[in-house]
Amino acid sequence: MAAAIEFRQVNKWFGKLHVLVDVTLGVAPGEVVVVCGPSGSGKSTLIRCVNALERIQSGEIVVLGDSITSPRMNLTRLRTQVGMVFQSFNLFPHMTALENIMLAPMKVRNAPREDAEKTARALLLRVGIPDKAGNYPANLSGGQQQRVAIARALAMQPKIMLFDEPTSALDPEMINEVLEVMTDLAKSGMTMMVVTHEMGFARRVAHRVIFMDGGQVIEEADPETFFASPKSDRSRQFLSKILSH
Amino acid sequence: MSYQFKWSVLWSGQSGYWLLQGLITTLELSALAWLLAVALGILSGALRTVPFRPLRAAATFYVEFFRNVPLLVWMFFWYFGVPPLLPRGVQDWLFDHGAEFWAGMFALGVYHGARMSEVIRSGIQSIPRTQFEASVAMGLSVWQAYRLVILPIALRLIVPPITNESLNLLKNSSVALTISVAELTFQTRQIETYTARAIEALTAGTLIYLVLCVSIAWVMSSLERRYAIPGLIARVGGAG
Amino acid sequence: MKRGFVVLQVLALLLSPLGPVFAQSQTLDKIKESGVLTIGTRTGSPPFAYINKNNEWVGFSIDLVELLVIPSISKEVGKPIKLTKKESTPPTRIPLLNSNSVDLIAGTMTDTPERRQSVDFSLTFFLTGAQFLVKKGSPIHGINDIAGKRIATQQGSTNAKIIREKVPNAQLREFPDQPAAFQALLQGQVDAYTNDGIQLYGLKAKAPNPTDWEVVGDFFSEEPYGMAMRKGDAKFKQTVDAGLKQGFESGKYFEIYDKWFGPKGELPYPMSPQVKAYLLKQIGK
Ligand SMILES: Nc1ncnc2c1ncn2[C@@H]1O[C@H](COP(=O)(O)OP(=O)(O)OP(=O)(O)O)[C@@H](O)[C@H]1O
Ligand SMILES: [Mg+2]
Repeated sequence: MAAAIEFRQVNKWFGKLHVLVDVTLGVAPGEVVVVCGPSGSGKSTLIRCVNALERIQSGEIVVLGDSITSPRMNLTRLRTQVGMVFQSFNLFPHMTALENIMLAPMKVRNAPREDAEKTARALLLRVGIPDKAGNYPANLSGGQQQRVAIARALAMQPKIMLFDEPTSALDPEMINEVLEVMTDLAKSGMTMMVVTHEMGFARRVAHRVIFMDGGQVIEEADPETFFASPKSDRSRQFLSKILSH
Repeated sequence: MSYQFKWSVLWSGQSGYWLLQGLITTLELSALAWLLAVALGILSGALRTVPFRPLRAAATFYVEFFRNVPLLVWMFFWYFGVPPLLPRGVQDWLFDHGAEFWAGMFALGVYHGARMSEVIRSGIQSIPRTQFEASVAMGLSVWQAYRLVILPIALRLIVPPITNESLNLLKNSSVALTISVAELTFQTRQIETYTARAIEALTAGTLIYLVLCVSIAWVMSSLERRYAIPGLIARVGGAG
Repeated sequence: MKRGFVVLQVLALLLSPLGPVFAQSQTLDKIKESGVLTIGTRTGSPPFAYINKNNEWVGFSIDLVELLVIPSISKEVGKPIKLTKKESTPPTRIPLLNSNSVDLIAGTMTDTPERRQSVDFSLTFFLTGAQFLVKKGSPIHGINDIAGKRIATQQGSTNAKIIREKVPNAQLREFPDQPAAFQALLQGQVDAYTNDGIQLYGLKAKAPNPTDWEVVGDFFSEEPYGMAMRKGDAKFKQTVDAGLKQGFESGKYFEIYDKWFGPKGELPYPMSPQVKAYLLKQIGK
């Protein structure tokens, strides 16, 4: 089966800083991949390349069969097929939860308001906060905000979801409610790339763990193998730090 | 010797009519110039933040060029400098139909547009970049992201400095008297000439400006409350 | 005892409201004592009073004082009198007069009824009035031709007031300063610019092509220039007027006029019969 996401010899620089070094990588449809690694290793940059928030200098990235590094690439099409959830939620503060979710379907797909609203309410139900439809972001807890953000990304019915440390900004008691939503999503067969330090989530949900350092993919393995017997020194070091608390 | 006030000069003879004419002209001039300034300010302020260098450069040029030359010079520019570029017939028609008013309006609007641009730019830049990324990541175009997300947030944040700029615009509209626009300050001077009652005329002018400014500030602050984003209290610092 | 009496007498004299009656003319007494007449005049109003290229303070008004007024005062006080000039401007000239810093204002001051409430004026020594500066060949020849036309005026001038009353449908454009108004005329924003004729001749002389422009129309308002003095010193006023009158009668005044305003003068400004008649009428001719 063709890969949903494919990195081929990808290199990226920020000025002189070489942040992605010869990355070659594939993600199969329905696969859940957790990306981990020390800070500054290039994890965010890696997944931001998938929806072209970052441009690469060499190599090729193919998403759902289209080369997104070709000049003729259709950005809007790509981004409606790839949803993204950020560490800082990024809900639009001047819109209610419901309006946040309805925005893209109405403005990008020109969906009628009633349809958009129906979908939005269904999504709020799915992420467990149907009663918060009329709340503005400032009146939602962090966990609720992040769940609205997931619902918002799902509203375009994407085939791939990207998560960049979705629980890092949350108080500990709210982390689980977000992870549960993500777990359900994974079970429903969504293709997911998740940057996270939640090793419990990785163990339970991921099909594969990717370990990055210095812009390179150092290790790729199924979670059991990765956590039980990491191959490289760097991943061992990393795991000992992460799992010690 | 104590000054004998004679307030009746303000409503006797033609004074009242003149004040009213002046007030109307000032309001028309300021309102049209304000619309122009806000439109130019939003456009150039937004362009200064877009991820496309030539547009940023053009907007920067506009702002620096127009706000760094005194308003009086722009008044003369639009009144004396621009008409000769037009065909003679058009010029004559304009001169018969309030060329000085339109010149004053353009001078005020373009000048204050450059100043508002700075306010709007600082408003946009106070919004975390990730808001923009979240917008485009869900498929909005850059234009949609600005129109639906960035600008609506920025405009709410900058109501106080925009109010400030709007009041400056209103007060600066009096510079148009240098190119013979018969606005409020012009008319108070006129009353002074006709009645030799400087203090009364000045007081009337001052009071009218004061009432206008207070009303504008009040309208703006009710707008601010009306459109306040629940829970959002971030403010952008005022520019001049 | 005797000295105390003298002091009392002096005090009584000073305090008495009749005091000034005894002094024939305080100004003449002061001039007689010092041997100097101090005038307040302009430094930048050619050709009336200004500092010329050779750094000399000269002008028509100054000549009139030197050649007509001073001889009259000399004769009156019986000794030669020297002239001292001080700078005065419209806002300072009346205070300078009232504080005795100067005895006579001789510059470009217009004699108006309002001003007569605080100072006395001599005979009119120069008469100008509102006219129009137009492009040569313009259909405007005077105030009767300006209906519907765009007319520039200087803001605050009485000319605007008169036009508004006499020709309400003229389109007035009032400028706060002369250069802007003149520029508007040069570029065609307005069809004519109205101001005192003397000012208009000055502008015309400075225009890029002076011959393209002409000053037209009879005066529709009059601006008589007079010399101002402290109010109530009738004897001094008589002396000043006598000097001017002598100048009109002997023709000396017209020689001086010609020196400054004649074809070869600093600012050519031909004297119209209307003006000449006005000036001579003052001395009953
Ligand atoms: N826009 C940018 N301009 C310049 N350098 C950048 C930019 N974004 C990221 N970098 C740098 O690129 C490197 C990789 O950044 P990236 O955000 O991908 O790391 P990360 O693995 O996600 O780290 P973290 O765990 O801290 O989020 C870092 O050194 C970072 O400082
Ligand atoms: Mg990161």
